Amino acid sequence: MTPGNELALFAICVAAGVLGALAGIGGGLLVIPALTILFGVPIHLAIGASIVSIIATSSGAAAAYVRDRLTNLRVGMFLELATTSGAVLGALLAAIIAPQLLYLLLGIVLLFSAAMQVYRLREELPPDVPASATARALGLVSSYPDARLGHEVPYAVQRVGLGFALMGVAGLLSGLLGIGSGALKVLAMDGAMRLPMKVSTATSNFMIGVTAAASAGIWIGRGDVDVRIAAPVALGVLAGALLGARVMVRLRNRQVRLIFVPVIVVIGLEMLARGLGLDLGLG
Amino acid sequence: MSDRPAPTPLSPVAGAQVRRLADPERLRLAVAWVLTVGVAISAALLIVSVIGAVLVGWDGSLIGRPPAVEPVFTLAGLLAGLAVLQPAAIGQLGLLVLVLTPILRVLTSLILFAVERDRVYVAVSLGVLAILLASLLVVR
Repeated sequence: MTPGNELALFAICVAAGVLGALAGIGGGLLVIPALTILFGVPIHLAIGASIVSIIATSSGAAAAYVRDRLTNLRVGMFLELATTSGAVLGALLAAIIAPQLLYLLLGIVLLFSAAMQVYRLREELPPDVPASATARALGLVSSYPDARLGHEVPYAVQRVGLGFALMGVAGLLSGLLGIGSGALKVLAMDGAMRLPMKVSTATSNFMIGVTAAASAGIWIGRGDVDVRIAAPVALGVLAGALLGARVMVRLRNRQVRLIFVPVIVVIGLEMLARGLGLDLGLG
Repeated sequence: MSDRPAPTPLSPVAGAQVRRLADPERLRLAVAWVLTVGVAISAALLIVSVIGAVLVGWDGSLIGRPPAVEPVFTLAGLLAGLAVLQPAAIGQLGLLVLVLTPILRVLTSLILFAVERDRVYVAVSLGVLAILLASLLVVR
């Protein structure tokens, strides 16, 4: 890092944070491509910077959702058993697998997250289904105040085991790639456990920080969290996420957010190409 | 909720009222507070470190002392760096506060679940806390 690079890093990460917020995928997924493509930062250092950044960006939104009673604290705490275990495993695995595999996985997650944005557009009430015995035993069944409908919406929780398993995978990817795995977390809660979309999104955000903290210690211990990169990056992504959230309030139509999805697809394809390109080079 | 013992032996109606007023409210606000304050402190430290790095370099000193030589990711190096306001050390402290924030959040949840006498979630929080602490020890 030459002097003055801090400001360039900061500026690019503000942009990544804004774009991440507008596209609804969070900052981490875009920071790693930005650092590796634009600054030539080795992918392990990029992941190290990203993993600490997503704690900053998720915590602000998480606090707001907790205050608004959208977060299901018990669902979050219970599933964190899975995400933190997965994250520790992922962070340990990252040291032994080939960097091109990291690029490849990052590309796949980016494309998956872009697809999830289209899926998330349907924001309906949870289906009227009975809660599973496991969910009742664990006290996961709850309700949330829906601002748009103006009343309390009760919801059941189902397929806790499947949700728990998917959360383990989300945690693994988070620890491996230094990302929040928000899209997979939402899929586990909304898709598998049948939680309302708003509760899934809020609870996912709540879990991202703890999941990231579980692998951050390992990345720091290995010396992959370089303060010269991580400090401006964390600050930039945080500023970008706050700015993006403000802009997003003005974008009333959720369809408008889809404008940003193709950008994510292009970055995802670039990461895929890096992963595959290195593979072909070896052959 | 009904399967959990109430903190004090009140009538079912009064017990429900106490739980409605005190338990989720305190739990949520304390948890939200920890997250907000942790990130705010960390962000303040990171701002000082990045501005400092632009002014005097990462290994310089904001009070014009000779720079510390130990790397900032050791405790001794961190403390020595902080003593001379070394931007790298200030930034490292900011990152540590950031990583500790979610851990403190789990600890807060643990205390409040304990106050609520929710044994299942005391155990769940302890489990998460154990994994977090283990992760800090695994690479040493």
